[in-house]
Amino acid sequence: MNSLKRVFENPAVLTLIHYRVIVILAATLILAVSFVPGLTEFRTLSLSLDRTATLGLVAVGLTVVLLMGKLDLSVGSTLALSGIATIGLQAQLGPTGAALVGLLVGVLAGVLNGFLVVVLQINSLVATLASMIFLRALCHFLTDSNPVSGEDPLFGLTVTRSLGGTFSPRTYVFLIAIVLLFVWLTYTVAGRHLYAVGSNEDSATASGIRSSRYVFGAFVFSGLTAGAAGVMQSLATNTGSPVFGETVALTAIAAVVIGGTRLEGGRGSALGTLGGVLVLAAITTTLEYESVPTYYQNIVTGSILLLLILLDRIASNSPRSALSLTSLLPSRNSERVPTQ
Amino acid sequence: MKSPLRLGALTAAGAMLLTSCGGIGNENANADGAESAEGLDICYVAAAESHAYASPANAAFQEAAEEQGVNVTLLSQEFDAQTGTDQLRTCIGRNPDGIVLWPVDPQAYIPGLVEAQDAGIPLVLINSPMDDDAEGLYTSFTGPDTYEQGRLAADVLNDELGGEGQIVIIAGQAGNGTTLGRTGGFNDALEEMGSSIEVLQTVNADFDQQRALELSRDLISRYGDDIDGVYANDDTMARGFIDAWTESGRDVEDMPAIVGINGQQDAFESIEAGYYTATIVQSPEEDGRLALETIVAAATGEEVDSRIPIPLTVVTEENVADEEPAF
Repeated sequence: MNSLKRVFENPAVLTLIHYRVIVILAATLILAVSFVPGLTEFRTLSLSLDRTATLGLVAVGLTVVLLMGKLDLSVGSTLALSGIATIGLQAQLGPTGAALVGLLVGVLAGVLNGFLVVVLQINSLVATLASMIFLRALCHFLTDSNPVSGEDPLFGLTVTRSLGGTFSPRTYVFLIAIVLLFVWLTYTVAGRHLYAVGSNEDSATASGIRSSRYVFGAFVFSGLTAGAAGVMQSLATNTGSPVFGETVALTAIAAVVIGGTRLEGGRGSALGTLGGVLVLAAITTTLEYESVPTYYQNIVTGSILLLLILLDRIASNSPRSALSLTSLLPSRNSERVPTQ
Repeated sequence: MKSPLRLGALTAAGAMLLTSCGGIGNENANADGAESAEGLDICYVAAAESHAYASPANAAFQEAAEEQGVNVTLLSQEFDAQTGTDQLRTCIGRNPDGIVLWPVDPQAYIPGLVEAQDAGIPLVLINSPMDDDAEGLYTSFTGPDTYEQGRLAADVLNDELGGEGQIVIIAGQAGNGTTLGRTGGFNDALEEMGSSIEVLQTVNADFDQQRALELSRDLISRYGDDIDGVYANDDTMARGFIDAWTESGRDVEDMPAIVGINGQQDAFESIEAGYYTATIVQSPEEDGRLALETIVAAATGEEVDSRIPIPLTVVTEENVADEEPAF
C-alpha cells in the first residue's frame, strides 16, 4: 500500500493523473488510428465527428447542469419531442418555422425541469426522471407511437452533408457550442458564478449570487441544447420518432463525467466535455470497425468511466492537484537529479 | 439500375487501389465482365446482436460470407434507429463494395440511402421493409413479406374461429416496419374478407416474451374468457400469452386460438400438443444467407431483382409433422 501511495505521489504520475482526460483521449485516438485504416483521411474523420454531434450537443447542456451538482435525465425525451415537432409541423409552419418550434419545445422542457427543481424544490434526479417519463409518453401520444416523416427526405441532407469538403453543419454547431461554453465558463462573470453555485449553493447565495436563477437557467440551457440536438437529428433522418434518444441521456452523462466534470458539482469544463465526447466516439469507431459486439464497447466505456472517477479522487486528494503542468515540470526535473 | 452499379464497383475498385487496403485477389474481372466475390468488403448494419431471430440470421450471413471469401464488418444498432442511421453513414464513409441494412424504422434511413446511392454503393435491405418513399433508393430488399405474413395469419385465425369472435393482438415495437406489416396485413385481410372478428385490444410487447407476459396478464384479467383468439406478431410473444394464461389458473385445454409468426421450436411443440393454432415459418438462416448472396451478386455487377422474398409456410396441426422449425 505504501509503495502504491508513493507511485501516486510521484510528480510524473500526478501530472498524468491531472491531465487524465487528455491522456485517455490520446490513448483512444492512437488506438483508433492504428486499427481503423483511413481514419486520418479527412472524409472519415469528418463522418466520425458528424456522428458525435448529436451526443455532443446534449453533453454541452448537461455539462452546465452537472456543474451545478444537478442531473438532467430528461434530455433524451426532450430530443425526441423536439424532433417530432420539427418534422410533424413542417406542413403547417414550413421547415424553418417547425425547426424553431423544435428549439422552443426544448426550452419549454427546460423550463418545466427548472420549475420542478427550483420552485417545487424536488431533487433533480427525481424531477427529471418524472419529466423524462412524462415527455416520452407525450411523444408516443402525439405520434400514436408511429414515427412521423417529413415531406422532403432530401431536405435533411443539408444538415449532415459536409460544407465545401469540410465538416457537416451539425458538426459545426457542436464545435461552436463547445467554444461558446468554454468562453462562457472561463471568461464571463456569469460563468464563474456557475462554479460558485455548483460548489456550494448556500454560500453562493450568501455572497449575493442568485443561485436559484443559475440553477433554473442551467436546466433551460440543457433543454435548449437537447432540443437543438433533436432538431438536427430529426432533420438528418427526416423522421420524428417517439423512440429516438432513449439511451442518449446516460451516454451523454458518461461523456461529461469522463471529461472531468464532477457529479457533486463545482468542477468541470467545456474542453473536458469535448474530450469525453471524443473518447466515446473513438472507442465506438474503433470497436465497430473491428466488428466488436456492442456489449464489449459498453464494457470498455464502463471501465474507462470507473478508472477516471478513481483517478479523479486521487487527483482531488492530492495536494498537488491544484498545480498546473508548468509548475510540475521543474519539480520533476529537480527530483530526477539525485537518482542519477 | 445497371449503370450506377457498374459505376459503384468501379469507384470501389478505384478507392481500393488508392488506399491499397483491399485483400488479395480483389475485383478480378472475368470474361463476362462479372467480378469475383473473393475479397469484397461488405458493411452490415444489423438489427441486434443477441436476439432469438437476429442472432441466427447474422450467423448465417457471416457463414455465407466466409464461404465466399467476403469480408464483413458487422455493426449492431440494438434496435435503435438513431444509432442505425449513424452507422449507415459510417458504412458509406468506409466506401465498401456493398452495404446490407436491417431497417428498424421505415423512414429514418432514407437520407442515408440517398447518400449510398450517390456514392454508387449497392445496398440491400434485409428482413424488414421500408416505406414506399424508399423505393428505388436501394438495390434490393430480401426477407419475408411481413404484410403477407399478417394476411396469412388472418386467414388461418378466421378459419379457426369460423369468422367470428373476439381477439387480442400482441404486436411488436410501435413504429417498427415488421410490426406495421404484420399487424396491417392482418387487419386489412380481416376487413377485406368481411370477417366479424372483433379486435378487443392491440398491445405493443416489443417482440419481448417478458413484456408480452406482463401485458397478457392485464389482457386476461380485463377480458378473461371473452378472448376467443390471440394474434401475436411473433411466437416469442405468443409464448408470453400462454404463460400468462396458465398462470391465471386457467386450463391449457381452454386456451384461445393462438396464431404466431416465425416458426419457433416451442411453437411447433405447442401445435403438436394441440393448444396452438398456427405459426408461419420464416427461417432466419435463409434470411441472412439470402441477403449476403444478393449483395454479393449486386456488388459483382449482376442484375438483381428489387424484391426477393423468402418462402413462407403456414404450419398447423395438419402439417406440423412434415415441417422443420426455423429455430
